[in-house]
Amino acid sequence: MSSERVLAIETDDLTKRYDDDILAVDGLNLEVGQGITYALLGPNGAGKTTTISMLTTLLQPTGGQATVAGFDVVEQPDQVRLQIGVTFQEIVLDPDLTGRQALDVHGRLYRQGKAERRQKIEELGRLVELEEALDRRVKTYSGGMKRRLELIRGLMTEPRILFLDEPTQGLDPQNRTAIWEYLHRLRSEGDLTILLTTHYMEEAEALADRVGIIDHGRLVVEGSPEGLIEDMGADVISVSGRGDRSAFLEAIKARAYVQHVDESEQDIRIGVDNGNHRLAELVGLASQDGFVIQDVSIAKPSLGDVFLKYTGRQLRDR
Amino acid sequence: MTAAIATIWSKHMSKFVKNGEEWMATLFMPILWILLFGAGMKAMMGDMPLAGTDLPYVAFMAPGIVALTALSGAVNGGATLLDEKLRGILKEYLVAPIPRLSILLGNMLSNATKSLLQAIIILVVAVLIGASLSGNVLGWLLGLALMLVFALGFVGIASGVAMRAPNTGAYHALIFILNLPLLFASNALYPIDIMPAWLKVVAYINPTTYIIDLTRNLWFGAATTINGWLSVGVVLAWGLLGTWLGYASFKRSVR
Repeated sequence: MSSERVLAIETDDLTKRYDDDILAVDGLNLEVGQGITYALLGPNGAGKTTTISMLTTLLQPTGGQATVAGFDVVEQPDQVRLQIGVTFQEIVLDPDLTGRQALDVHGRLYRQGKAERRQKIEELGRLVELEEALDRRVKTYSGGMKRRLELIRGLMTEPRILFLDEPTQGLDPQNRTAIWEYLHRLRSEGDLTILLTTHYMEEAEALADRVGIIDHGRLVVEGSPEGLIEDMGADVISVSGRGDRSAFLEAIKARAYVQHVDESEQDIRIGVDNGNHRLAELVGLASQDGFVIQDVSIAKPSLGDVFLKYTGRQLRDR
Repeated sequence: MTAAIATIWSKHMSKFVKNGEEWMATLFMPILWILLFGAGMKAMMGDMPLAGTDLPYVAFMAPGIVALTALSGAVNGGATLLDEKLRGILKEYLVAPIPRLSILLGNMLSNATKSLLQAIIILVVAVLIGASLSGNVLGWLLGLALMLVFALGFVGIASGVAMRAPNTGAYHALIFILNLPLLFASNALYPIDIMPAWLKVVAYINPTTYIIDLTRNLWFGAATTINGWLSVGVVLAWGLLGTWLGYASFKRSVR
């Protein structure tokens, strides 16, 4: 049965080439099942926002196809629009409206009845703890409150699919965790599908059932966060230093317990089965071969390491 | 369609009603014109009809001031749309299941409504300082309706420019080219008969001239200097042209 269910989002070689010949999205193939939270993880400029813009009918693709809730985004934009809620990367709120008015106008655009709008506003205001502030103008809100208001605006019309473009961008850690908690609560309550984009690996790890790593407009690798991280080995030893790396690299790659090695300019990251046990030996290899280690650390691998492995770049490189 | 237009219209109107600064800004200038310029002219000429016309100066200039206010209101309306575009607020509408045209029309209509309210206030001020209205109430309403159409034409053009303008500076530069010349190169402040020939040509090309000639007649009972039906035709055509230009530009800018 589940295999016959329509996917919440499906793209087939989805492509966007801008007029100036920049290929923002380059043949993207996504499959997002119903009821899951899917994170598109990638650095700024990877094509995440362009992808969301096409899926939410704001932008016309220049190639390929996409369906959202079973409707084609090019042929049936109105049906798509009825099924989705969206929050944008930048804060998109009218500063002169009160929070309540912003939500009310939104509900009216979707032709919700008055009673339904009032009830949803109360319910959602409670969800994100904004009830006290709803009658104040949006311009008096803090950044975190604006993000919360936008989140519930996207939920006003009970969408089947919620698109969140960088939902915690610009927020301090405390507000970020608060948003994560609301999203967790939402997931546990219903059958909502969420597609979010982020360049914070912690966010993808905290929220997503599945993660797609996107770079230069292409899907590089996809899987559950746990699965992707597990493939990286139990621990990652990061080594930075001076001198000729090549002999050192060759030596460590020859060890059976080394699962993978990723290099960047700053450091060498070595995935091993047990960091504490292997550290001394790896450091020893360096001094024999004329590579002088200046700094070494052991960490559990993260999605950032996954990103580095598949793209050769740090997620935060900019 | 109408539900979406009404939603966007009422959003802008409720902001307007609560925003004291916008009231001040939009009413201050025209009332200043009427009170100071009008009073000065009145002191100079008394209640004598202006040479070549059958109206005292306050009544003569009031329709022009109403038209000027509609023009500046349109500039503000375009600026609102531009602001919503630059801030991304338009995207909230664009992902909603509403016709694209309703976004533009909601904006344009709220703007024209504001112009209408301002027109009424200016007329009241003009009457308070001595202009006397014609006895034809139907004529007043017809005059207001035609002024609304005229305002829509200009709001449409301002919206069209706003949708294409990359930033507020470019928008205001373009709009400035249109705004004051439309006032001065018209019959708003002086009768067309006394103009030099070249200015006459410009004034007759300028749609502002036609709405002013019409409303002088409809509101204050002055004799028309241009055939009334021709003026009605020009005003309606202007309204349609502006709306169409606004729509064409809007359609090109959004999906």
